[in-house]
Amino acid sequence: MSVGWIIGVSILNLFFALVLSPLLEGSARKLRAMVHSRIGPPIIQPYYDLAKLLGKEDLRSSPNPLIRIAPLSCLVSVGIAALLVPMGTFTVSTGTFEPPLGTYGDTILFIYCFALTAVGTILTGAASENPFAFVGASREMMMHLTVEPVLAIALITAAINAGSFRMGDMVFWYHAHGPAPSMILAALFLFLALQAQVGKLPFDIPEAEQEIMGGTFIEQSGPTYALLRWSMMAKQIVFCSVFCQVFIPWPMMGHIALDVLIHLGKVFVLVLILAIIDVVNPRLRIDQSIRYYLCLGFVSLSAIVLALAGL
Amino acid sequence: MINFLYAAFMLLVVGAIIVAAISRHKEACGWSALGFVSAAAACLLYLAAYVFLVGKIRAEGLLSLHPVIGTSLSIEIDPLSALFLIIISIISFCVTLYSITYIRHYEKESLLRYYPWLLLFFASIVGVVCMTDMIFFIIFWEIMTLTSWALVVYERENKESLKAGLIYFIVTHLATGCLILAAVILYSYTPGPSFRFEDFRAVLKTQQIMNPALVHGILALFFIGFVTKASTLPFGFWLPLAHPVAPSSFSAVLSGVMIKAGIYGIVRLFCTILPISGSSQTWGVIIALFGTFSIFIGTMSALTQDDSKRLMAFHSIGQVGYMFLGIGAGFYFLPVNSALAAIALVGGLFHMINHSWFKSCLFLNAGSVIYKTGTRDLNQIGGLFRLMPWTGITALIASLSISGIPPFNGFASKLLIFESSIIAGKQVGATILARGLFVILGLAAIFISAVTLASFLKFINSAFLGKLRGVEETSRSDVPRSMQIPQGILALLCVLFGVVPLLPITMVHKAISGALPVGLCPAFASLFGNVWPGISLNFGMGRVSGVWDPLWMIMAFLILVGVVSFVARAGGAKVREVETWYGGLQHLPADTAYRGHSFYRPFKQIFTFHFKGIEFRGLYPTTFPRPRISMPQGVRTFLSLDQWFYYPLGHLFMRLTRGLARSHTGHPQMYLLWIAVGVILVITILLYFPGG
Repeated sequence: MSVGWIIGVSILNLFFALVLSPLLEGSARKLRAMVHSRIGPPIIQPYYDLAKLLGKEDLRSSPNPLIRIAPLSCLVSVGIAALLVPMGTFTVSTGTFEPPLGTYGDTILFIYCFALTAVGTILTGAASENPFAFVGASREMMMHLTVEPVLAIALITAAINAGSFRMGDMVFWYHAHGPAPSMILAALFLFLALQAQVGKLPFDIPEAEQEIMGGTFIEQSGPTYALLRWSMMAKQIVFCSVFCQVFIPWPMMGHIALDVLIHLGKVFVLVLILAIIDVVNPRLRIDQSIRYYLCLGFVSLSAIVLALAGL
Repeated sequence: MINFLYAAFMLLVVGAIIVAAISRHKEACGWSALGFVSAAAACLLYLAAYVFLVGKIRAEGLLSLHPVIGTSLSIEIDPLSALFLIIISIISFCVTLYSITYIRHYEKESLLRYYPWLLLFFASIVGVVCMTDMIFFIIFWEIMTLTSWALVVYERENKESLKAGLIYFIVTHLATGCLILAAVILYSYTPGPSFRFEDFRAVLKTQQIMNPALVHGILALFFIGFVTKASTLPFGFWLPLAHPVAPSSFSAVLSGVMIKAGIYGIVRLFCTILPISGSSQTWGVIIALFGTFSIFIGTMSALTQDDSKRLMAFHSIGQVGYMFLGIGAGFYFLPVNSALAAIALVGGLFHMINHSWFKSCLFLNAGSVIYKTGTRDLNQIGGLFRLMPWTGITALIASLSISGIPPFNGFASKLLIFESSIIAGKQVGATILARGLFVILGLAAIFISAVTLASFLKFINSAFLGKLRGVEETSRSDVPRSMQIPQGILALLCVLFGVVPLLPITMVHKAISGALPVGLCPAFASLFGNVWPGISLNFGMGRVSGVWDPLWMIMAFLILVGVVSFVARAGGAKVREVETWYGGLQHLPADTAYRGHSFYRPFKQIFTFHFKGIEFRGLYPTTFPRPRISMPQGVRTFLSLDQWFYYPLGHLFMRLTRGLARSHTGHPQMYLLWIAVGVILVITILLYFPGG
């Protein structure tokens, strides 16, 4: 793979994850408003929000340098994760679905990038010295603890099937092999976990504005808050991309521009589905959510069993 | 070359004596101990470098006991031993430097009971990893146990540490007993009387065919002996008791060096002494199972701890489990797929080195917190980052390393362990049961890795972040330089081994291929690729299945950091310091503090339950009902000698003497009468027996 290809696709992926994500968030908000029978904000409202926040005064409740560094690492690790996911960039010349940095890091790294995002959020909250932020940090960690296994099991099902941990190989295998029961099951479980991964209702427990006033974000303002919000939006794109590429790699035309458009379309639809679930559900309590995802984790082992049986 | 080993050994032993002699001068004692240890460490590092670059070193028949028992002091330093020598030398230097100031805050205790033992401990563990003769191996092993026990009970007026010390003493001696028993059984089978590893290997090779049950019995004894030291559950229950009560500097040694001796024993036994066969496969599964059991229980239990050092002690159990998972998978797959096995073994041993750096660093961090605040209780401290930023940063680095967050060293080694145990699911030639088992074990390890992260974020959050608590106003300054430097060195090693994993992996690969029979371990490039500086894993399945190239990743990370921070600054937002917002109400920080105990309450509650009167916290039993042992009535009656023997006998004697005492009336006339009667009696007898 040439350096030019890597740089080009990297920029494309980052464009999707960082630049385009507020647009999808805006569409989700529009849909939300439609369900509420409101007109709702314009579709590019999230851009306005970010721009406004970037210029706002940065209030710091603690001199701790982590309060500055942690939000940065939060967004950057989502960006890195975006570089580990193929986003419809199948190239006929190389014959792979390799994500831009796929030769430097694999699925395990992708999973740990999200651990790093969680660490960033938690440290931001804890460094702000606010007790509400501590409650939020504790909840964020518990959510991560229970949701991460589901994500890991789904991706590892694909890895066992493909015999490789490289995401490009996984997509390539599934695309060539056609639908497999283990993958369909894994996709189902991953879909049930997506809502919590992207921090939407009924699982936005770590923020929970009505109870703990934003949790880890309570003391954040100005640019640091912008970075945190932005990473939430970007996370949504990255997760939906993984779902759409690894678990539904069809249709694939073999023409790069067309494939990218198809991919974006799939992600758009998935984001809207997540938004609908978000708008019609109340928030769960943290203990309910923990139990739900621990059970889901156990049940999703069945996908692994199927994969081991070669199905 | 071997002279460097003798030099290091003599430096440590002579150093121990000299340090003992000057133990009254606290400053001089610490610095001279540091001098001896660093000289010895330099010797050992040089020796290790020689072994890695040139080849192994042997010395035989140094101290022959052949006429008596058929053994002799023989030394062999191969890359596996050299790996341990590197760990020992670096940790010993850091810990001795740290001790100079730290140990002085134990005002009541004498240094005579610290430095000499510490130096002897280092000497003994150097001996353990260099021996190729079982008798001398066990002798050094025993010295190691005794010296470490002396340091565990350093605070001799603390009841808790005495109790923990007693349990440690008993448990490890039972384990040593197992080792001795296994060695003696093997000795009885050697053709010429010998305790040499090579002769043991020959015995095991023949007995594997003739008498497999015996071989399994011997392996079980060795296994118990080694995993007790390596503190795998359920044998390692002494560890959460003993590690917290030792001085923090020595806790770092216990976790960083001593429990590794058990790993060394296991690796040496199954790689070098035991020929690769079906029984090594069986034991591979057993080791991996025990390992994962420890990962699960140890780390879950760590999550519920509020005592900083106890938390870390439980993580030592968990992390040792990771090493055993890698090593066990390696032993299982050696006959099936040597590439997969080699990667798993390398992962296990690599994690062991990494664990030495980050866990020692964390214990030193906990020591610094104790030095500053005087408490191990995470509920009573907070916000120390303001006070001791250096300790805070190193603790953060070490915490992220132990949780396997990229790009720190824990990630690289855990990656090897995870991927090799999960890709085992694809292995042709293994049974579906074994494949499924290793995949499940790998998944458990991934899940627990997140629990580790949770547990250490709790440590960081409650000790270093939040509002400042637990410190008196007078002591507001960072810990002394001599305590900062060791933490810095260890944290730097964590980063270095994470960013350039190829270097340590090369060393570990060399160690593994040296310890295994010749030609069994595939060449480095065929396993890890030859694309410097990253690693690309080839599990012998004809493809590159996993990759990790930290330098390029970090470059991408830094570019993104640059771009994002440029965007964040683009708005030109002003910065202002404000008070914490409590939702509009006025609160004192003390009222609203979120204590360590409150973290993850709902999650911990799921894993906390009562069963038959035993409380399980994080799946680890914390309280026990009193054991009630009852014996048959007859035995109990027999055993109570007081009841049927001593008391009746005593009473009889008393009655007798009381009767005799009646004759003592105190009247002289009476005594004269007795004399007269006696004289008459004697004369009568004499007259009656004329012959007399």
